[in-house]
Amino acid sequence: MQLKQDRMTSKQRMDALFHYRKPDRIPVGPMGTGFATKNAGYTVADAYEDPEKSFQAMLWTYEQYGWDPIPHYSGHTLIGAWEFGGEVKIPRGEFEGALSVKSSPVESERDIEKLGIPDPRSAGRIPLAMRFSQLQKEHHLPVYFFSRSPFCVAASICRLDVFLRWTARRPELCHRLLHISLEFIIDVLTYWVDTFGAESIFAWMSSPTESNQLVSPKTVEQFAIPYHLEYQEQLRALGVKRFGLHLCGDQNLNLPVFANAAPWQHPSVLSFGHEVDLETAARHFPKDILFGNIEPALLQTGTPQRVYDLSRVAIEKGKKAPGGFILGPGCGIPVYAAPVNVYAMTKAVHDFGWYE
Amino acid sequence: MALPDRTEDLLRKIHDAVVACDEAASARLCHTLLAEGLDPYEGVMKGLAAGMNTVGTLYEKKEYFVPELLLSSDALHAGLEILKPHFKIASSQTRGGTILLGVVEGDIHDIGKNLVKTMLMAGGWEVQDLGVDVKLERFVEEQRKINADIVAISALMTTSMLAIQKVIVMLREAFEEIRIMVGGAPLSQETAKQYGADGYAPDAVAAVQEANRLLKRPL
Repeated sequence: MQLKQDRMTSKQRMDALFHYRKPDRIPVGPMGTGFATKNAGYTVADAYEDPEKSFQAMLWTYEQYGWDPIPHYSGHTLIGAWEFGGEVKIPRGEFEGALSVKSSPVESERDIEKLGIPDPRSAGRIPLAMRFSQLQKEHHLPVYFFSRSPFCVAASICRLDVFLRWTARRPELCHRLLHISLEFIIDVLTYWVDTFGAESIFAWMSSPTESNQLVSPKTVEQFAIPYHLEYQEQLRALGVKRFGLHLCGDQNLNLPVFANAAPWQHPSVLSFGHEVDLETAARHFPKDILFGNIEPALLQTGTPQRVYDLSRVAIEKGKKAPGGFILGPGCGIPVYAAPVNVYAMTKAVHDFGWYE
Repeated sequence: MALPDRTEDLLRKIHDAVVACDEAASARLCHTLLAEGLDPYEGVMKGLAAGMNTVGTLYEKKEYFVPELLLSSDALHAGLEILKPHFKIASSQTRGGTILLGVVEGDIHDIGKNLVKTMLMAGGWEVQDLGVDVKLERFVEEQRKINADIVAISALMTTSMLAIQKVIVMLREAFEEIRIMVGGAPLSQETAKQYGADGYAPDAVAAVQEANRLLKRPL
């Protein structure tokens, strides 16, 4: 296959998007932590435990697939349960592809009293994430600071089903956890800013627990939005200019809630799952850069032609998005995605993604 | 013995307690039902289970979400704990069949599975719950022991969904006649078919409808 020649570097392409200018073509960005390490012959666990291997795997995999480094991380900088004393399982088994929370430090009201704010430099896998970020800085890449939203961090510190019950029964306990979560996220972010400078940081956030497969838009409005607003204020105060949010899963009912609150500065990158139609997203967020939204499971179980066709449709819709568009998966690329399916996204960009 | 009107009133209140996610009221009303000599089985089926079915409808209409499902489920179980020791279900009374339920190896997500269990119980199914992170061989071993009408398997991750594909092959090799249904966020009707499952449900409410549909289908 003959590929057209890029006329911009990844950096120029992203700079263009962030200034509402058309880049040479639609960027293609992955969320492929474990996919990259497997691709490079390492283990999935290496993605989370070995920043050097993870970084090298990503460099090569990004080059192989022509990806732009959007986003570029080796897993979450912080999770919640892990840093606050819970137990997290590193994916080592045949069917494991991501970190999972085995036990949360909070299961009852009494547990909240015992919670302290962890050391933002040493808790959980923060030192490993810091090493990964140092490698990004050394290679002149954006330094991604990747947290979950305060709502998700709180629901990870607390056992998820308990937290969900508390949203209806004990809202005050949820708010206490949310305050603690936000404070910790900002502590760690401040450590990143102090280390690398605000200009280098790309703050990235995911929000799976806010999906409407779990909670109502009213719950999001009541428990998530106020902390998004506060987080964004802190981002501005710290001088961090680039922000991306992965609205994981089915968040269709949340779209008007987020659009009305508009907590982030524009443009920000908004990443959507396959459950959200890109045209709908563009109507709600005309000032932001849309990112998505190929169904991850299809990258694993589908055919390259199917992925290619869906990518073409996404590109056609994305090109019309006033704030710009990045093609990518609707969530993390599955560890066992068929390489040819992953390549089909890149091929679609090369065939249909040019702006001339 | 209570009058029919009183029975109806109490059953409706139990139903409403489940819908209102009121665990304490559900338990209190079930105690009252026993104290007044009413049929505990009716209390379960026309009170608690009927309430949970209404909750399922509200979930389908996107009026209820997972927090409400969890709290309603708590209310159902609070009442069930009180009534269950007082009756035996004859097989002729079971509206559903038996179901073997579990989340595959490599996956420890249990909220969805637990809700499926509650909804199935409310739908009259007898559920054998294997829990989460279930070794694939165990699905075969347990099915050999209990010969459930349906084996229901779920996964929440794209990686663990591959285990579903594998366990379906194992189950089909081990049993000539078996009904298998699958669910979980990364799966779809299409993937379920591709993996060789007989049925698929996107959520806990649909799981009951799908199980009922499969049960009617001859093996």
